[in-house]
Amino acid sequence: MDTRNPQAPLAKATRHDVWNPEEDDTLVCLDVQQETHDVKTFTFASRDGKRFAFKAGQYFLFDLEHNGEPESRCYSISSSPHRTNAFSVTVKRVPGGKISNWLHETLVPGASVKANGPLGHFVRSEAVKPKLLLLSGGSGITPVMSILRELADSCAPADVVFMHAARTPLDLIFRDELACIARRLKGLRLHFLPETVAGEPSWSGLTGRISADYFRLAVPDIADRTVMCCGPAPFMAAARGIAAKLGVPAAHYLEESFDAAVIDEPEIPAIQEAAAKVFRVTFSKQARSIEVTGDQSVLSCAKKSGVRIPSSCANGVCGTCKSKLTSGTVDMNHNGGIRQREIDAGFFLPCCSKPLSDLVIER
Amino acid sequence: MLDRLPSSISALLDSRAEGHSLPAGLYIREDVFEADIDVFFHKHWICVGLDCDVPEPGDATVVDIGKTSLILLRDDDGEIRALHNVCRHRGSRLLSPGKTIVSKLVCPYHTWTYELTGELSYAPHMGKDFDKDCHGLKPVTFKSIGGLIYVCLSDNPPEDIAGLEQAMVERLAPYDIRNAKIAHQTDVIEDGNWKLTMENNRECYHCSANHPELCVSFVDLDFGFDPETLSPDDREQAEEHFRLYEARTQAWESDGFPSAAIEQLTDCATNFRTQRLIIAGAGESQTHDATAASSKLLGEMTRKDLGDTHLWGHNSWNHFMGDHAVVAIVIPLSAGKTLVRTKWLVHKDAVEGVDYDLDKLTDVWIATTDQDADLVARSHAGALDPAYQPGPYSRFSETNLDKFATWYIDRMRAHGY
Repeated sequence: MDTRNPQAPLAKATRHDVWNPEEDDTLVCLDVQQETHDVKTFTFASRDGKRFAFKAGQYFLFDLEHNGEPESRCYSISSSPHRTNAFSVTVKRVPGGKISNWLHETLVPGASVKANGPLGHFVRSEAVKPKLLLLSGGSGITPVMSILRELADSCAPADVVFMHAARTPLDLIFRDELACIARRLKGLRLHFLPETVAGEPSWSGLTGRISADYFRLAVPDIADRTVMCCGPAPFMAAARGIAAKLGVPAAHYLEESFDAAVIDEPEIPAIQEAAAKVFRVTFSKQARSIEVTGDQSVLSCAKKSGVRIPSSCANGVCGTCKSKLTSGTVDMNHNGGIRQREIDAGFFLPCCSKPLSDLVIER
Repeated sequence: MLDRLPSSISALLDSRAEGHSLPAGLYIREDVFEADIDVFFHKHWICVGLDCDVPEPGDATVVDIGKTSLILLRDDDGEIRALHNVCRHRGSRLLSPGKTIVSKLVCPYHTWTYELTGELSYAPHMGKDFDKDCHGLKPVTFKSIGGLIYVCLSDNPPEDIAGLEQAMVERLAPYDIRNAKIAHQTDVIEDGNWKLTMENNRECYHCSANHPELCVSFVDLDFGFDPETLSPDDREQAEEHFRLYEARTQAWESDGFPSAAIEQLTDCATNFRTQRLIIAGAGESQTHDATAASSKLLGEMTRKDLGDTHLWGHNSWNHFMGDHAVVAIVIPLSAGKTLVRTKWLVHKDAVEGVDYDLDKLTDVWIATTDQDADLVARSHAGALDPAYQPGPYSRFSETNLDKFATWYIDRMRAHGY
């Protein structure tokens, strides 16, 4: 990538081809916006002037170079899919996070980067017009912001609760824009939930963390809604538990496992918290379900429970246990036994994967 | 090989009359088939595929030749590799025939796991003292010549592949076949001996009676004619055609596109011929109206009037045109069955239905290949008939067959038959 040449010319957008992930990989940064004290939005156009077609909730995988080392990071698109000439990602600076800090300090308009996408399945079902609860913590707001911007752009009647949690009012990303959308998008209810009022003592709403009590008050019809959740792992784990307790069926609960913070510098306490959790792992072809804690590999638990998956190395090398993950997210540490193309197609290696949510595996 | 006693095949080779087709036994006998595989498919360079058969890291394809099975793949560094498809444990096939995507090469039998370089990386339950280093997959000698993959299964690959390499690297460069896309592929199994398949391809004596589609763009006169049998009108037309050839070849060459015929057909191990041929009619491409089938030209090509660069080898024929290329690979299956694998290539960014119409791209050679399959089956059936007797090749339009048969006999003898 080239970040030192802010003069890199952008091709005239005379071609109206659509960005094709099979062949296109170069983006040019058009604009950088400071959203909050530690969050910036980066807007990218195709070097060749191509349009972007993506679904709200999808992400791009950026191939970056840091100190000569290749680094890949996923960032959800925060802009509306109705805007096709450019898309935006919104990145929070993470304490000690080498890539997020480096992006904040180095990426300027005119710089070009390599990226692969759009990717991901955290998208709204188009089959029905659902009642939605868009639920986000911190920089996990990006994919649900894209969804909300799409709804606002389409001007269609909606029934959406948008709930955003953050550390303090100063950390509420897109605060003004959300207030603005809430004034004109019929059927949107907006809830902000800062953990503390630090920095803004006149905060008039509630503060604290999400809880079943909070949702009973703020979203009493949560059980009728499709919940789409994105945020740090502990936030998502808590949200998942609460939603289940309040009667949201698993089929109506979607989550996006990564956000910039999780991918960048895994917060050790967060992972430990997830590790203590017990997840339900279902093998759809055998109609079997087992429990796996967040610190166990899916394969070893399956073996102990008598569920048979072809396997060999148990170490992410040989790929013999490769399986289709039809729902849920895992923390996979493979050693070359699976290709990114296969991961993108929904496959994973149970031998080197720990669950981050309930899983359904096609086995 | 040299200590082998004169075989019954030697007697067949000896009985071949100059200028005549081969004795029936050389087409139909199973022992000759096995000798052919040994000599022409294991000891000579053969074309087995293309770089663009495996466009991305992890793409792999298996090609079976006789009892040998090869894995052609692209490794994580983007390099092409050719490996024997035989596990070093107990010999199981690693991959099944056809195309696949792999992250490692894992034997399905006992999960011996190899890197895409062929190095053995994991062999369970073999003990601490087991030396993985000397159990890597066996590599196959190969060359990518302008994007065409040639392999040689012998430890002493013929060195005169250099002639083909020197000619084709330069000629194929502007077509950038290495980065083309396979738009379509067909496998046709002909009911005939592979040499009849090749002989049929080496002459166009049969074209005007059998290939109405191909004759729109292909000029059968290019491969010889008897001036005495032509009408005065036809003769004048033929002479005009050859004046045009000279002028066109000169113009192409002065524009930097090597075009003159290069032949290495007899007294050599590696048999090939190349020439830039004129396309008849609209002059652009081998399609039903001789106009280009793809509006996105191959590689760096900017012109549609650069004719048809043809390349023959002893198991393949190829046509490289401005807009597309047709690559045919011949693999014998038995004395009387031969696989003809045809691939149609377009620019890697060309989009079906937008830049090219698949039917227009493939019509001519699908029809021609089917017609040829029928002709080869007829030839083979005739060779099986006790009434078959080798007949004379035309000294005008079948000179290349005489050269092919002569080369065949020479190479068999060179390898001890």
